[in-house]
Amino acid sequence: MYFEFKNVSVHYDKVQALQNVTLNLEQGEIVALIGANGAGKTSTLRAITALAKLSSGEIWFGGKRIDRLEPAAVVALGVSMVPEGRHVYPFMSVKDNLLMGAYLRRDKNDVKRDLDRVFMRFPRVRERLKQQAGSLSGGEQQMVVISRALMAKPKLLLLDEPSLGLAPMVVRDIARAIVEINRDEGISIILVEQNSRMALKISHRGYALETGRIALTGKSTDLLNDDHIRKLYLGA
Amino acid sequence: MLVNGVVLAVNYALIALGITLIFSIMNILNFAHGQMFMIGGFVVYYLYGIFRINYFVSLIAVVIVLGTIGWCFETFFFRRIRKIATREENSMLLAVGTALLLENLALSIFGEKQRGVPPVVTGVFRIGNAYLPAGRLLVMILALALVIGLLLLVQYTKWGRAMRALAQDREVTHLMGVNVDRVAAYGFGLGAALAGLAGGLLVTVFGVNSGVGNVYSIKAFIMIMIGGAGVVPGAILGAIVLGFVEAIGYQLLPGSITYLLIFIALIVFLIFRPQGLLGKPWG
Repeated sequence: MYFEFKNVSVHYDKVQALQNVTLNLEQGEIVALIGANGAGKTSTLRAITALAKLSSGEIWFGGKRIDRLEPAAVVALGVSMVPEGRHVYPFMSVKDNLLMGAYLRRDKNDVKRDLDRVFMRFPRVRERLKQQAGSLSGGEQQMVVISRALMAKPKLLLLDEPSLGLAPMVVRDIARAIVEINRDEGISIILVEQNSRMALKISHRGYALETGRIALTGKSTDLLNDDHIRKLYLGA
Repeated sequence: MLVNGVVLAVNYALIALGITLIFSIMNILNFAHGQMFMIGGFVVYYLYGIFRINYFVSLIAVVIVLGTIGWCFETFFFRRIRKIATREENSMLLAVGTALLLENLALSIFGEKQRGVPPVVTGVFRIGNAYLPAGRLLVMILALALVIGLLLLVQYTKWGRAMRALAQDREVTHLMGVNVDRVAAYGFGLGAALAGLAGGLLVTVFGVNSGVGNVYSIKAFIMIMIGGAGVVPGAILGAIVLGFVEAIGYQLLPGSITYLLIFIALIVFLIFRPQGLLGKPWG
C-alpha cells in the first residue's frame, strides 16, 4: 500500500479527535474525506504532516513510517499540505509565496521550470506575481496556496477544504484543477471537503468520518448513491 | 546637530531592526536588547581598546559573541518555554530574566566604570557650517551599510524569506519544510548581533558602561512603539524620529529634560495612536 493510516488516535488535551481511524490510498488515487465539522477530517491531515501528535497508531508512506518524524521531514518525503482557510503569507508577494513552497529544493532551473508549469495551470497567479498575496481575492489565494504546495513537487497532496467560502464558479475551477493535477502530474491526493458532492464527484474513493471514526467507506460513485450518505451529507 | 541626528538615527535603526526581528519572528519582546548592545560595546573595548586588535576584526568578533548569545538564549531557554508554557507572560518573564543575567554578568566581569576607546579614524570634515568628526562619519557609514545589508538579506535571500514566513505564519512555515527551530535560533542570533554591532559602533562615540543596557532597551522599546511593533519600516521610522529628537533636544535643552519630554510626548502619542505610525491596529 502506498499510503496507510493504521488505527490512529489523536487527542487534544483530553478531547479525542480521532479514534482508531484506518484509511489508505493507492498511488495516483484521489481519496475524499467527508464529514461534518469536528468529525476529524482536519485532525487526520494534521496527523499526517506531524502537526498533531498521535496517541496511538502508525502512518506509513512510500514504505517508510512517518508518524515519528518532524513536519519538515515529512514534507521532505514528498507530502504537501494546503491548510484550511488558505493561509497565504499575506505580506509577501505571490512570487515569494511560491518560492517558499520550493524551500527544500536545490535545483534552481528545475524550480523555474515548475514555476512556468504552475503559471500554465493558473494564469491568474502569474498576473498577480508581484502583488502582496493578502490583497488577492479568495479564489486567487486558493490558487496561490495550491501552486505553493505544487512548487514542493509533492507525491502526495493534502487539500483541506479548498472550496471553503468560494463562489460556485470558482469552486468549479478549483475542482477541475484538482482533477488535472492528479491526472497530469500523477500526484496522489487526499481531499478533505464539507462540499461532499464536489468531493465525491472528483475522487476515486471516499471515507465518511463521524465524531472521530470512519463511518463508511467505498468507491465515490457508490457513496454518491448511498442512502445514508445522501441523507446526511448531500442534503437529498 | 542634524549630523548628530543622522549618526544616532542609523545606529538606532540597527537596534530597532534587531528587536523587531526577534519580536516578529518569535513573538518575544527582547528585554535584554540593551544589554546585548552593552556587551557589544565591551567586546570592542577589550579587543580594540585594550588588546589593540583591528577595529573591523573586533566588530566581527562582536557578531560572533552576540550571535552565539542570541542563539543560545533561543535554543536553550526560549524554545523550551515556548513548548511547555501555557501563558505568554512566561516568555516575557524569561526575557526580563535574561536581561538581568547579562547585566549582572557584565557588572561582575567588566566592573562599573565608564570605558572609552581611542578614535578609529581622526580628522574632521566641514559640511556647510557644521563640523563632522571622521569617527562619527565612519560609524554612520558602517551603520547605514549594515541596515541596507540587513534589508537586502531579509528581502532577497532564501533564509530571509524563511524568517519573514515564520513571522507571518508559523504553522504554514512548518508545512513548507522549514526547520522552524533552526531558523528561529539564527534569527535570534542575528537580532542579538545587530544590537551588539550598534554597541560596537557607538562605543567609539559615547563609550560604554555596564549600566547602559536598560537605557538602550528602553530606547528600543520607544522606537518600536513610535513606528509600530513588528513592522520593519516602522522600526526604521521610529529610529529616525528618536535619533533626531534626541540630537536636537540635547542641543537645545538642559540635560535630562529631553527624555522627560520624549516620554510625555510618547504617552500622548500612544493615547491617540496605540499601534504606532505604521503598525496595524491591535485586536
